[in-house]
Amino acid sequence: MIEVRELVKSFGDIRALGGVDFTVREGEIFGLLGPNGAGKTTTISIIAGLLSADSGSVRVSGMDIRRDGRRVRRMLGVVPQDIALYEELSGRENLRFWGGLYGLSGKRLHDEADRVLELVGLTDRADDAVREYSGGMKRRLNLSAGLIHRPKVILLDEPTLGIDPQARLNILDIIRDGVSGGMTAIYTTHYLEEAEKLCDRIAIVDHGKILAQGTLKELVKLAGEGNIVTVSGAFSREQVNPLLKGVVVEHLENGSLRMLIPGQAELSGALGRLFSAGIPIGEVSIQEPSLEGVFIKLTGRELRD
Amino acid sequence: MNAILLIVRNDMKRRLRSPVSIICMFLIPLGLTLLVGLVFGRHGKVELSHIKVLIADDDRGFAANFLKQGMKQGKLAELIDLVEVDPAEGRSLMDRGKASALIEIPKGFTANILDRKPAEIALVKNPQESFLPLIVEEITETMAVMIDGAAQIFEEPIGEARGMLTGGRWPEAAELAGLLAETKPRIALVKGYLSDTLISIGSETVSAPGAEPERTLNFFALIMPGSILIGLLFISEITMRDILREREAGTLARILAGPVQSGRVVAGKMLSSFAITLVACALLIAIGRLAFGIAWGSPLKLLAHVVGSILLCVGLMAFFYGFIRSERVADAMLPVVIIVLCIFGGAMIPFEAMSPAMQRAAVFSPSFWVIDGLKRISIERTDWGGIAPHLAIVYGLGALTSLAGAAKLRGKLGGRG
Ligand SMILES: Nc1ncnc2c1ncn2[C@@H]1O[C@H](COP(=O)(O)OP(=O)(O)OP(=O)(O)O)[C@@H](O)[C@H]1O
Ligand SMILES: [Mg+2]
Repeated sequence: MIEVRELVKSFGDIRALGGVDFTVREGEIFGLLGPNGAGKTTTISIIAGLLSADSGSVRVSGMDIRRDGRRVRRMLGVVPQDIALYEELSGRENLRFWGGLYGLSGKRLHDEADRVLELVGLTDRADDAVREYSGGMKRRLNLSAGLIHRPKVILLDEPTLGIDPQARLNILDIIRDGVSGGMTAIYTTHYLEEAEKLCDRIAIVDHGKILAQGTLKELVKLAGEGNIVTVSGAFSREQVNPLLKGVVVEHLENGSLRMLIPGQAELSGALGRLFSAGIPIGEVSIQEPSLEGVFIKLTGRELRD
Repeated sequence: MNAILLIVRNDMKRRLRSPVSIICMFLIPLGLTLLVGLVFGRHGKVELSHIKVLIADDDRGFAANFLKQGMKQGKLAELIDLVEVDPAEGRSLMDRGKASALIEIPKGFTANILDRKPAEIALVKNPQESFLPLIVEEITETMAVMIDGAAQIFEEPIGEARGMLTGGRWPEAAELAGLLAETKPRIALVKGYLSDTLISIGSETVSAPGAEPERTLNFFALIMPGSILIGLLFISEITMRDILREREAGTLARILAGPVQSGRVVAGKMLSSFAITLVACALLIAIGRLAFGIAWGSPLKLLAHVVGSILLCVGLMAFFYGFIRSERVADAMLPVVIIVLCIFGGAMIPFEAMSPAMQRAAVFSPSFWVIDGLKRISIERTDWGGIAPHLAIVYGLGALTSLAGAAKLRGKLGGRG
């Protein structure tokens, strides 16, 4: 459905994208997971036709976005990272404008506006000016404006940004409900849990490059089906390092470390060595294989929250 | 609905919801008009340079003298610079635009008045000026009425006095007393006589002679065209600025992410600026009529000129915003540009009161043509020929700046098809 090939984009000296390449299949929610400045918004903007790439290509439904720009844009819905609404107009008036741009009118426009207002739970506040909305309400309206014309493809750029965890879950539910009936979606986020919960397939982006992509299972396998083991106690780096050769170790602070351990045997081996050397260990926690492990392995760092 | 109209409708709706900035821009010209008008009204004189009036007197009689003396007296002396010329010289000076008006008093003017026969004064007006010649016309008319009234009141006594004078002897005291006694009851009749004055003033403009309809002078009519220009410039500025605001708010990008051509987005933004400025202008004109009593003249000519003028203002602003990247730059630059346009257009100091050097420069400012056109239509009641150059300039320059501005803005938005 969406084929992104070797996108390169620089802003002056800053190379935002260094050959981004992925394919989104019809009907799936594809996650672009990456930290701040990874190049997520740049990628979305190029697909939406708002930026032109220095090189590379994007095809949507087989159409090249450069050649068939308007036809492609007609199929797309965009939910921008920064809320883009007319503050002085009401929620309903906003929706009627955005829907109108995609050719909706009359009763159809009216009904679709009602539908998405219902979807995001703003029916009661539909006729209030957007400037009187809370941050979360604006986020939801921002989302609904991208869905009003029932796009075939929806580009969601961090639609949960700046929202408390409770409301975030709510938005994920809305997206799951809204993105149905064969709609294809690209969802960018820097929240691991969101990608895990929502996305059929995920690409991990950092510094303008895709480091890995696949389903959650495939990605976790990439990390070697490892466990993340966090150990804390009254020890120093120098004491433990010789005991942990061959294990990926990240020292959080003195007296606390995190290891990525591929298998069960290696896990008991490493812990056994620590215990038999008499290292004073206070607490051990073992985490199931997860996207976080993959991320740490690929980027050598955690996603910032 | 068409994307252009959709944008226009949306923008108008948004302006209605938060009209504060427009209302401010709207109050500025109105306040200025009121202020300047009140100052003028209070002091009863226009702060104008002296009006240069030529007078060619072929009559050399007392009626002609009365007219000349009248213009040299009191307040009129402050206003009018009367220069005596012979008729040929007067015409040639007028052809070169050296004075505001030329008054020609033909031979036999006094005799005709005394004989109660129709008498005529010719008034030649400078087509380069709109307001000053009208003042002269107004004054001349008033004086003609006074001379005529006097002639009517004193008709019989004058006959007798003439007899006495032509008889070559000075009247006796008793005869004079009788004469004066006879005049007393007649003064009450002045009003009745004024309506059918026998003196007619043939007025013509050097290049375009023609009958002039009656009108009275209204100071506000002199000031308000300038105020309207100020309003048009400021309102088209803030409405075109919206393209920067929308860019910063992200709504412009969101529109462009839809299936709309960027050229249409630019056209929509310019058209909405045009529409909002037009509504504001119509309100200003209506207020001018209702609150200040300005007779704007032919509605068709006014509409044609106002539409062209708004096209020019919106075009200029679109052109500027094609280059301006941020509101900070706009804030620093545009008020200066607008004030310069207002000054040279004659919105601050009336064109008539400018120094000759400034007048020569003003002609090169497009804003001058906006104001001058309005004055010609409302004050001078010109025919289409009289505003043809104005229309050519506002439409020509308006189309040029609009196209250039649209192209530049479209390029800025990414220029995709
Ligand atoms: N208009 C621009 N001008 C200059 N640099 C830019 C511009 N847009 C993006 N960049 C740079 O490109 C890189 C990628 O930015 P981008 O916005 O795509 O990141 P992102 O993954 O969306 O980050 P975030 O999670 O913070 O939204 C960053 O280094 C950013 O500074
Ligand atoms: Mg981003």
